Amino acid sequence: MSDNLITDDVFQHTAKLSRLEIKPDELYIKDQLAQAAEYVEVLKELNTDNVVPTYQVNNKSNVLRDDLIQDSLPQNLALSQAENISNGYFKTAATIKK
Amino acid sequence: MAILKQPLPLKNKMTDLFKLTLKESKEGLKSKKFTAVELVQSCLDRINSVDKKLNSFVTITGENALKEAENSDISLPLGGIPIAIKDNYLTVGLRTTASSKVLDQYIAQYNATAVEKLKKAGAIIIGKTNMDAWAHGSSTETSDYGPSLNPWNTGHLPGGSSGGSAAAIAADETIISVGSETAGSIRQPSSWCGVVGFKPTYGRVSRYGIIAMKSSTDSPGPICKTVDDAAVLLEIMSGNDVHDATSINEKPWIRPEMKKNLNGIKIGLPSCYFPKEIQSEVKAAVLMAVETLKKLGAEVIELTDVLDPKYSIAVYTILQRSEVSSNLARFDGVRYGHDRSYFGQEAKRRIMLGTYSLSAGYYDAYYLKAQKVRTLICQDFDNQFQKVDAIIGPVSPTTALKLGAAEGQSMFGEIQDMLVEPSSIAGLPGISIPCGFDKIGLPIGLQIITPQRREDLVYQIAKLFEDNTEYHLQRPKL
Repeated sequence: MSDNLITDDVFQHTAKLSRLEIKPDELYIKDQLAQAAEYVEVLKELNTDNVVPTYQVNNKSNVLRDDLIQDSLPQNLALSQAENISNGYFKTAATIKK
Repeated sequence: MAILKQPLPLKNKMTDLFKLTLKESKEGLKSKKFTAVELVQSCLDRINSVDKKLNSFVTITGENALKEAENSDISLPLGGIPIAIKDNYLTVGLRTTASSKVLDQYIAQYNATAVEKLKKAGAIIIGKTNMDAWAHGSSTETSDYGPSLNPWNTGHLPGGSSGGSAAAIAADETIISVGSETAGSIRQPSSWCGVVGFKPTYGRVSRYGIIAMKSSTDSPGPICKTVDDAAVLLEIMSGNDVHDATSINEKPWIRPEMKKNLNGIKIGLPSCYFPKEIQSEVKAAVLMAVETLKKLGAEVIELTDVLDPKYSIAVYTILQRSEVSSNLARFDGVRYGHDRSYFGQEAKRRIMLGTYSLSAGYYDAYYLKAQKVRTLICQDFDNQFQKVDAIIGPVSPTTALKLGAAEGQSMFGEIQDMLVEPSSIAGLPGISIPCGFDKIGLPIGLQIITPQRREDLVYQIAKLFEDNTEYHLQRPKL
């Protein structure tokens, strides 16, 4: 594993990827991140060279269903919890600058 | 310890209806000793009188519950029975917050499958219970609506994340309740509050409509006053669901025919489930429970080669954070809820670590390594279950800790849940049942774990233990 190099740059980049704004009084999270990363180093003690990872514990895979046409959530209900709507659409912040 | 065989007396004083178990409530309704309205009113009165002190509930339904009670069909399995639902189960027309301000005003557009089943069985929702925000924690201290308090001693925590449900049951604020467990969130608060929490096999109960935390281990299940009450709820909640691809292809679980004793059953006692930090009274109570199980006919075998739970703590920490960072990505304030600035510090901390462990350059070292060790944990259980039919141990190394214990500790929950994390990671069923009290009167829980899909054996052992002890009859003085 890494040497827990959670530098300021890595920390800020992680916050950006997480879409979170970290306030000045929350910078302590960086130290806690490093502590947790250090704790999990214990896994190094176990040899996993020929071990297959387990992503799913009850052995189900590729669960498919017939492509049947079913009723979906009515539009007014789907929009009912949004803070910003416009003409029957969800209104989002612009993602592309002109 | 004296083994008692004492049938539960049917308490039919109208003012005490809230104290009833599910079984007693059904008998009383059927024999017309009281009505569903009276039963619901009794629980609402109880909530009014004690919840200011305990904060078990985030939302109380009040009038709506009484209206539903008026029209209830008591011939249904849960007809007219008040139920408290953890606030991460989606409920149509009733606020669902997951105890986070992000969802402060969120009203779900559909019911969770489990809620649908419970309502179809006649249950009446009297409220939504408090929890650690997003189920991140083992104390309810991360709830944006303030912590719940332990009914046995309000200076102490109820555990979590389903702490509101466990406290509500212990304080008799409801007849039955449901919680959800990802790694201890049913069993640990049940242990700390002295009630019964039944965590089913992963996939036994549909996760559809339950706000996702760690999808690969999330398991909804009952928290009740007795083993039988919990088993009845599990029968109703279980079964395959097309809306949850991980739900197991089996008919709903049903209780097996009860055996008279545990003859021929081998029970394993892992020595590493008694870490050096364990509270001495917890150890003593569990060892006393071993003697009871032996008297009931079980052969108890010490297991000296079980994988140390410290590895499960690390695996859980990585996988839980990783899945959380993905599952909470959907909360952007566009379709529902407020924007991401409303996340509390615990959620931020977890999202950050998850994003870090999944990001380029760290994935192999953290996420993949943890998934490989998860395989070793599953294999370890497979090996142990070659030797024994079930495994028992303490649920938590301590009784309920004091308020404030979780503050500032980034891994509080992981350490508290160290003895239930291995079985959760492997998707195994388990139960927490009361097995004693410490010197200041706080409850102690015994856990029983079996291979996947062997809830029948969990039930048999737990029920026989309960039938022959009196811990579950104790109630806190409020």
